[in-house]
Amino acid sequence: MAASLVRFVRGGLGRSYNLARSACVLQQQTRLQSSDTSPTIRPKDAVAHSQLAAFGEFVAEMMPKYIQQVQVTCFNELEVMIHPDGVVPVLTFLKDHTNAQFRNMIDLTAVDVPSRQNRFEIVYHLMSLRYNSRIRIKTYTDELSPVDSVVSVHNAANWYEREVWDMYGVFFANHPDLRRILTDYGFEGHPFRKDFPLSGYVEVRYDDEMKRVVAEPVELSQEFRKFDLNTPWEVFPAYREPKEVAPKLEAGDAAPEKK
Amino acid sequence: MAGLLKKTTGLVGLAVSHNPHERLRNLYSKILASLQTMPQDAAYRKYTEQLVGERFNHVQTEPDVDKLENKINCGQIEEVIFQAECELSLARKMSEWKPWEPLIEEPPNNQWKWPV
Repeated sequence: MAASLVRFVRGGLGRSYNLARSACVLQQQTRLQSSDTSPTIRPKDAVAHSQLAAFGEFVAEMMPKYIQQVQVTCFNELEVMIHPDGVVPVLTFLKDHTNAQFRNMIDLTAVDVPSRQNRFEIVYHLMSLRYNSRIRIKTYTDELSPVDSVVSVHNAANWYEREVWDMYGVFFANHPDLRRILTDYGFEGHPFRKDFPLSGYVEVRYDDEMKRVVAEPVELSQEFRKFDLNTPWEVFPAYREPKEVAPKLEAGDAAPEKK
Repeated sequence: MAGLLKKTTGLVGLAVSHNPHERLRNLYSKILASLQTMPQDAAYRKYTEQLVGERFNHVQTEPDVDKLENKINCGQIEEVIFQAECELSLARKMSEWKPWEPLIEEPPNNQWKWPV
């Protein structure tokens, strides 16, 4: 710890190459001195994991009508996947039940996955001050079907839902004041959708003759090029899917009769 | 009694309760009555009856507020009252929603598959 602090101070003060090099040497020395050679691996907290799993099972048993799936992620976060009709019941249950008391809404956002049948995933993050724990609720919708607003349960959801409406175009039913919140006056479209172009549709500039800012359709000097954005690395090795094995022919079929 | 000694709960918007036992008895019996309307095998009824029954028992057997708070072990008595109020409103909503019924709709295929 002390060595790393020294390294930080040296690195911060030493602008010249020499100083940086000596800091580098120092770093190597500390690495050699430390005896443990095991790689840095996140320690597993089995107790927290089992507690979260037990609570997830409890919630799923309480509301089997709405809860489709419960999982605990590798970073010990509890995720509850629910049907969109159950947003208000499940959040009310988690807020008001004595064993849950998730009274704080930390975040509400959406994820756009265009390849899915229901492309938008709505994510609610809640916190329970009483039990010092957090939970994540996920549900889904598409461009047209509205989701019930949870403003009646959590007041904090008001602006978050306006944000999701603005950025993704997800409609929230029974929201008291569903307006644009982040984009400019007269803006069209929902910028966080995956099919929204990076450059937008209009650009603004100051017009000297009209003495005001005007908005015009985007004109790019360079043509759009097609980029290959696929990474060459394997991003999720833990989620590797088994390759489809070609169906084997049975012994009898392998040798068809010849005539 | 508690009001004579206790001036504040220290929490904004939560006033000191002068008759916590009476209030809690009232709330708990209302919760239990509203749970009676649910089907016997509903998980919500089962667990909430157990939880509320336990606390109700403590309230009836323990006249001292400090000891009662220790026995319930869920914050000050005013917070416990607030929790009971929430539970009561939840129980009434629950009998409307009927969440113990089977799943209304399975998720579409690959909806929860991640990475995509």
